[in-house]
Amino acid sequence: MHIPDGYLGPATCGFFYAVMLPIWAVASKIVKKTLKTKQVPMLAVGAAFSFVIMMFNVPIPGGTTGHAVGGVLVAILLGPWAACIAITVALVIQAFLFGDGGLTALGANCFNMAFVMPFAGYYIYKTLSYHAPFDSNRRVIAAGVAGYIGLNVAAFLTGIEFGLQPLLHHTASGQALYCPYGLKVAIPIMAGQHLLIFGWVEAIVTALVVKFLQRQDPALIA
Amino acid sequence: MIKNNFIESSISGGLSFLKESVFSDDYASQKGFLQSLDPRIKTATLLLFVVQVLLTKQIVVLLCLYAVSLLLAFLSKIHLGFFLKRTWVFIPLFSLFIAFPAIFSIFTPGETLATLKIAGLELIVTRQGLSGAALFVTRVITSVSFVVLLSTTTKHFKLLKVLRIFGIPQVFVMTLGMCYRYIFLFVGIIENTYLAIKSRVGTKVHSKRGQRIVASNIASLYQRSYRLNEDVYQAMLSRGYNGEPLVLNNFKAGLRDWLWLLCVLTIFVTLTIA
Repeated sequence: MHIPDGYLGPATCGFFYAVMLPIWAVASKIVKKTLKTKQVPMLAVGAAFSFVIMMFNVPIPGGTTGHAVGGVLVAILLGPWAACIAITVALVIQAFLFGDGGLTALGANCFNMAFVMPFAGYYIYKTLSYHAPFDSNRRVIAAGVAGYIGLNVAAFLTGIEFGLQPLLHHTASGQALYCPYGLKVAIPIMAGQHLLIFGWVEAIVTALVVKFLQRQDPALIA
Repeated sequence: MIKNNFIESSISGGLSFLKESVFSDDYASQKGFLQSLDPRIKTATLLLFVVQVLLTKQIVVLLCLYAVSLLLAFLSKIHLGFFLKRTWVFIPLFSLFIAFPAIFSIFTPGETLATLKIAGLELIVTRQGLSGAALFVTRVITSVSFVVLLSTTTKHFKLLKVLRIFGIPQVFVMTLGMCYRYIFLFVGIIENTYLAIKSRVGTKVHSKRGQRIVASNIASLYQRSYRLNEDVYQAMLSRGYNGEPLVLNNFKAGLRDWLWLLCVLTIFVTLTIA
């Protein structure tokens, strides 16, 4: 899901930075207004939490492992705007210090994983768990569905971003300058693997974590 | 019943993360060219290189930029073997793998270069496909090389400080600096937890049970994080925090830094205009 440098052309990279700048500005304004001073460290702890979620290897039937992105889970726990900031910070640290995800593609990565995924997932969760008691199974199912859809929407968008590159950037003879696969290849590949494998990992992790928190500390998902 | 050794891979994942950070700090302490530059100038110039790599359309220019990155690694006393391993594994090798099918006419139609027969299947290699894939992989490895140069020759706390003085909104500034420390704390917690699980249940667990173990660990990590919030806030108050974070800026740029900046700017402008 992390787009490296060199996959997206300058127009796409610039576009997503331009889209993310006002989102980051609004997020910092809203979070500053709504977050009590006492909760400020929670953002940093939340960012570290979203960083390490990706380090948990989740077993997949068949003997292999995958990892969850955790975007929807962080949004359910912190709220979508705080999640946007926390995930952005985690992505910045990953890109600058550990080379995971590109610097020029940071805007696009943040759009997919720090904006679309937490917001789509959060509102799906809120809609499906509307008026449900904190300890109800409906909340667990809602979290799983939100995790699955949130990740797949982000993967679908990543597929579109990849697939647009040969259309936007090519030489007169038809040679691709960035990601060489068009929409007909990029979307099915990105969507396919997330619909069949990684979406389920995300759904299981999101649902089970909500279930555990319901039992152990319901106030945290209240 | 297929069992999964996710416990072992989680432990090795945590260990490699910590090892990588320690190695990076080792190289950042060397007395090489990039290490001697002001971190702000170094970050800005290496970012300029990354942007230039993005804008370049000729493979020859990209190869020259890749050579520049190797030269910078050499001048910065980074062991070539370490640098090549660190840059080629994992992203560029993965990119090479995914770019390979693009050389064939099924994905990139164009002028025929060669025809291959694999298991009775006729595959046509096109000039556009081959040059597009080569350009793509060269661009990826060159970008990754410049980013790795930045992260291996700069102490992580200094790099975060540079990001903080680049005019990012305050809430990001504070989160960034604090977050980095908690990542190490959390990685330590995960590692210890998995070691404890390994000592009790072994390394191979059925996937369903494994998923429950992972979820309960993420949930308990969040509970710990939440409790930590209160302690951290108290610690911040005791150090004089009044709602406004202070960022110290004690970097100093010398003549050498400005000359390097001028040199990179000249390369950037020349290549962009050409």
